[in-house]
Amino acid sequence: MKNLWTVTKFTMKDMIKRKSFIISTIILLVIIVVGFNIPNIINNFAGEEFNEKILVVDSENIFGNSKEILNQMELEYSFEFTSEDLTQEQIKEKIDNKDIDTCLKFTNENGIIKMEYIVESSSMTFGEVPQSLIMAFQTLYSNEQIIKLDISPEELAAISPQFNIEIIETDENAAKGNVVIMMLISAVLFYAVVFCAGQVSTAITTEKTSKIIETLVTSTKPATIVLGKTLGIGIIGLLQVILMIVVAGLSAHFCMDQEILETIFDLSNITIKLVFVAIIYFILGYALYSLAYALTGSTVSKPEDVQSANGPISFIAVIGFYLSYFSMTNPSSNLNKISGIVPISSPFSMPLRVMMGTATTSELITSIAVLTITTILVAIISIKIYSSAILNTGSKKSIIKILKESKKK
Amino acid sequence: MIKLLFYAIIVLSMYKVKGDIMSLELKDVCKTFGEKEVVHKINLKLEKPGVYGLLGTNGAGKTTTIRMILGIIKKTSGEINWNGKEVTRENVNFGYLPEERGIYPKTKIYEQLLYFANLKGLNKREATKSIDYWLKRLEVEEYKNMQAEKLSKGNQQKIQFITAILHDPELIVLDEPFSGLDPINTEILKSVIKELVEKDKYIIMSSHQMASVEEFCTDITILDRGNTVVQGNLAKIKNSYKSDKIELDVENGIEEIIKKMNLKVLQQKEEEYLLKIDDENQAQEILKELINRNSKIRKFEMKKPSLNEIFIEKVGEVQ
Repeated sequence: MKNLWTVTKFTMKDMIKRKSFIISTIILLVIIVVGFNIPNIINNFAGEEFNEKILVVDSENIFGNSKEILNQMELEYSFEFTSEDLTQEQIKEKIDNKDIDTCLKFTNENGIIKMEYIVESSSMTFGEVPQSLIMAFQTLYSNEQIIKLDISPEELAAISPQFNIEIIETDENAAKGNVVIMMLISAVLFYAVVFCAGQVSTAITTEKTSKIIETLVTSTKPATIVLGKTLGIGIIGLLQVILMIVVAGLSAHFCMDQEILETIFDLSNITIKLVFVAIIYFILGYALYSLAYALTGSTVSKPEDVQSANGPISFIAVIGFYLSYFSMTNPSSNLNKISGIVPISSPFSMPLRVMMGTATTSELITSIAVLTITTILVAIISIKIYSSAILNTGSKKSIIKILKESKKK
Repeated sequence: MIKLLFYAIIVLSMYKVKGDIMSLELKDVCKTFGEKEVVHKINLKLEKPGVYGLLGTNGAGKTTTIRMILGIIKKTSGEINWNGKEVTRENVNFGYLPEERGIYPKTKIYEQLLYFANLKGLNKREATKSIDYWLKRLEVEEYKNMQAEKLSKGNQQKIQFITAILHDPELIVLDEPFSGLDPINTEILKSVIKELVEKDKYIIMSSHQMASVEEFCTDITILDRGNTVVQGNLAKIKNSYKSDKIELDVENGIEEIIKKMNLKVLQQKEEEYLLKIDDENQAQEILKELINRNSKIRKFEMKKPSLNEIFIEKVGEVQ
């Protein structure tokens, strides 16, 4: 036990001193800070002047006095109306001279309003007129017609649709919860599994490359080494995740509009039970994958072979992650239930199911039991492979071959 | 009465110290890899402190034997015991310098030595004291806070040697400790091994260098393709061989004796000769002839075969 902590401490020290770790942490933190500042950055660059300048050619006065309403609509455009009947060439000239960005030309052709969208290139709007513009001018036109009909405000209110909208779900297992938070929990765990747990195999292989392993296994038990490394890297990974969450929280607090923040990160669904479940799955999920990486790391002895040895585990992690991601879109499906039980996907899937309220207690207990047993089994196999492959300093060996050799030994 | 009790305790504690004599014993130990037997029924016994030499050609089974003793690989059959108990990390406080030199390249010397000391049960204070002592003793104290990869190969080897001994083990296993060391570092390491012997350590050393084995080892085993070909007390082994050469430093007359007795000259440097003789009687005859001829004899020494020659004779292969 004392040696386990010694190995854990040494692994942690070694890990935080690695340049690759320091650089990747800094990059991640910068991405987080920049990410939360994107709205501010856009505003800084854009300001008010960045709004697209649209010239509205209304020579026939189709919109009359209703054009005033445009300003109340808070569109990201600045409009300029002209009653001059400008030709295509004149408009082109204005666009070329950057006087305007685009032009909307309205004409009445036998009672049908023709709207021409004149733009330098429509590729930015994917060849379409922006829906907000169409909606705005349709409203404008309706408004103008209503004024012409001379309808009183009461009559107008009576014919304007004012629906009280409510959603009633017929499926009792329908999802509750906040999609953004669900995605974040899954993504953070996926990051921990792929980037942190993957380090376990590198750490194990490095000891074989530097030939220190023979001294090490005569100093302590192979199980202590494997578990100590997993624990050490796990703690550092967890600290890194906590650091990321703290930096994200601070960035969100200081850099984002609180109202927007509250709509995106609705914390009302976070219960103590959910936090507890998320922590259990984080620890078990991390342990399962990092021990699996320890297993693949034990089969090779050269750093260049680590990636190819880790390939299958990373692939399984990706399958697990996507299984939970896809099943999230259909919370009451059987696929969702399965992804909550199967150990490769349950760490990603189950916290979300608990948050959505779709997981029953028995499902939760079964899932945790299956995951724990699988993790223990993987740990036993990893330690066995590690002990058997200590002196394999040649090329990569298959797991079955190592197990067969260990039986002979 | 109290005095009597006091003496009794002293006598008992002395008896306890005497009773703590340790031993390592290998009985009919075999190792096979697949179909190939790499170690065949090796038997050896270390009953008193000192250096035990394990000699052999490349692939003779020395490292495999060492790895079996320390439990790094499992033996196929036989018994390996330390004080009657199986050799495990828990039963024996041992130190090991593997043949494959290894070090954490990016870690500072002090930190990696502290890591191994902690793993072997030393607390920080004890470990630091031991590390400082051995770094100074092996003349590498200036590298204490340097990354290991910045050290020369010889100095890295000395650091690994410290890893093997810093926890004051009872049994020390050194696999080719001198390979790759320059003469100065070899001398430093030799003096440390002598110090360990003086501290009553049990040392097993495998080596290709016969001179160093002759210098340290009291008992030896020579292995050839997994089989024990020579074993026992080194002095007794050497004594069992009769003198087969004489070394001479004579002013005149020797040339005629060589001709007359048809002797084979193995080496000659001015008036110093190394001559092959059939038996010790022949040496007596040569001496008589020299005296009869009034030759001035500065040196006359009958020589037994060296360990190197015994090794070559037994293993049949030049190292």
